[in-house]
Amino acid sequence: MKTIILGVGNQILGDDGVGIHVVNALKEKIQSPDITIEEAVTGGMNLLELLLGYDKAIIVDAVKTENGVNGEVKRIPLGNFSTMHSCNPHDVSLIEAIEMAKKMGEERIPKEIIVIGVLMKEIPCEFGEKLSSKIAAAVPKAVDMTLSELGKNLSKNNLT
Amino acid sequence: MKTITIDPITRLEGHGKISIFLDGKGDVENAYLQIPELRGFERFAQGRRAEDMPQITSRICGVCPVAHHFASTKALDAAFNVDPPSAAKKLRELMYCGYFIYDHILHFYYLGGPDFVVGPDAPAAKRNVLGVIEKAGVDIGKEVIKHRAYGQKITAILGGKATHPVCGLPGGVSKGLNKDEVKDIEKMTKSCIEFAKFSLKLFGDIVLANKGYVDLILSDPYQLKTYNMGLVDKNNKVNFYDGKIRVTDQQGKEKVKFDVKDYTKHVAEHVEEWTYIKFPYLKSIGWNGMTDGKDSGIYRVGPLGRLNAAEGMATPLADKEYKKMFETLGGKAVNSTLAFHWARLIELLYATERAMELIKDPEITSTKIRNPVGKPGEGIGVTEAARGTLIHHYKLDKNGLIDKANLIVATTNNSGAINMSIRDAAKGIIKKGKVNDGLLNMVEMAFRAYDPCFACATHTLPGGMPLEVNIYNSERKLYKTLRQNV
Repeated sequence: MKTIILGVGNQILGDDGVGIHVVNALKEKIQSPDITIEEAVTGGMNLLELLLGYDKAIIVDAVKTENGVNGEVKRIPLGNFSTMHSCNPHDVSLIEAIEMAKKMGEERIPKEIIVIGVLMKEIPCEFGEKLSSKIAAAVPKAVDMTLSELGKNLSKNNLT
Repeated sequence: MKTITIDPITRLEGHGKISIFLDGKGDVENAYLQIPELRGFERFAQGRRAEDMPQITSRICGVCPVAHHFASTKALDAAFNVDPPSAAKKLRELMYCGYFIYDHILHFYYLGGPDFVVGPDAPAAKRNVLGVIEKAGVDIGKEVIKHRAYGQKITAILGGKATHPVCGLPGGVSKGLNKDEVKDIEKMTKSCIEFAKFSLKLFGDIVLANKGYVDLILSDPYQLKTYNMGLVDKNNKVNFYDGKIRVTDQQGKEKVKFDVKDYTKHVAEHVEEWTYIKFPYLKSIGWNGMTDGKDSGIYRVGPLGRLNAAEGMATPLADKEYKKMFETLGGKAVNSTLAFHWARLIELLYATERAMELIKDPEITSTKIRNPVGKPGEGIGVTEAARGTLIHHYKLDKNGLIDKANLIVATTNNSGAINMSIRDAAKGIIKKGKVNDGLLNMVEMAFRAYDPCFACATHTLPGGMPLEVNIYNSERKLYKTLRQNV
């Protein structure tokens, strides 16, 4: 089974880049020909194109919520998002992109798409490469959650 | 107009948050769009190696990485006092065409087009790309996906990476093209030309053949008589990658034409206390508030701004379409905001034709693609991002590290005009305090035309195109709120 782990976010925008920090940590832990780990500073259509051809996709991303606790990490199947947009009006949401691709007969969409979301109340609007302390503390949690998501697909000798 | 000094919404930056202020009669006095401005770039850039800037700035925005990459690279050319070899300039421009191809296709079919193709009165749930495909056919959908991907592939071949290019270096590019890549790009470009032609035909059949739509384009709420700005070549034809900045007036006459290194002589930035977004205006005219007309220094950039600021397109098919647009919409300048969509398709055709000229140029496979750099100094670079004129300005210290950096991005150039367009759309629909449910749609159409890029690159919950309109009465008390996807 081919799996892709995508860290989504912008690493020059502080906490927004948490997904990238998580996949960088994962790169040091996982070595398996069946698992691809990539960064994606993108959303919507481009994100979909990166996912095509894999059986399973795990997206690690910052998720802004009204009520969530800063730094909480949640496993959210993509189906649980009513809509998900890439927070800029010049793109469609990943869900819209998937719907469209299905309609076009695209057969390479992963059967399972899971979001490992690091919850935050505000997405920063100030440039910086560092994570705030609460979000930095969430990185190991998100790493563990991603590893357990890989679970059975990951034998011990894939872990370094 | 009463001046708003202290306000409950002061500096409440949010995604697509619009505040509308009514006068004593309940009619619209003013409207403001608040968009998040990313802050602290200058401090972030300071002390970094100048040659890292094309990579760093391409990450500022998930929408225009290529535009930032080359505005930055060109600023470095200037800062290191080096003129790239002609083959390097052509490779950069070719890549730039790829970017315009995918960006403009995305906007027309997925974002702006649905309002027209499906219809402005259609329910919101239908006004999306799936609605377009329902109307135009599934085969069209496949073509849309294919050609958007071609644009991206062209960019990736030249840029080294699909989303964030790594090819731009001061004095040239890091990578040339081999013969196989040339063949590949030529084949894709040929197909893109046909697709661009088809897209204009679709626009003609569905939009222009429908009197209701043409009337909407020409209707009062969507007219804005500002100055226009864009890059032009030596023949005053539209150019995306290089040239001089030309500004024309409301009748399409040249107001000024200047080299980007002189932009501070011609453009100033007005600051309003309710937003971090700055409002650029023409210095020679001055800031005259949120007004249009010849006495207001506000100008527009982007597809319509560029076409208005030029005297034609440099390729034959696009030039024909250019003439047709101005003839149909009553000559120069076209001041209708909704004509941005038409202009965008004409630019798509130009990008494909220009890409073909470049890929067929024997020099495109040249290996002389970089010149040695000189001593570090100050440099200003300009490109046309898909959504308008983009300027990077750097001052380097003697070790080639960034001392000062300033960016003027396309959406900022349009910020005054976007606010006025929203205000006018709201004026057309709010009378005597009565707010019609069509408000969100009309307002969204007004600013979507500019294809604004609200800097931000992450996912938020819940999603959809978030839009919140807060309407305040003459006492600045919240009167009504309309929301979608917030």
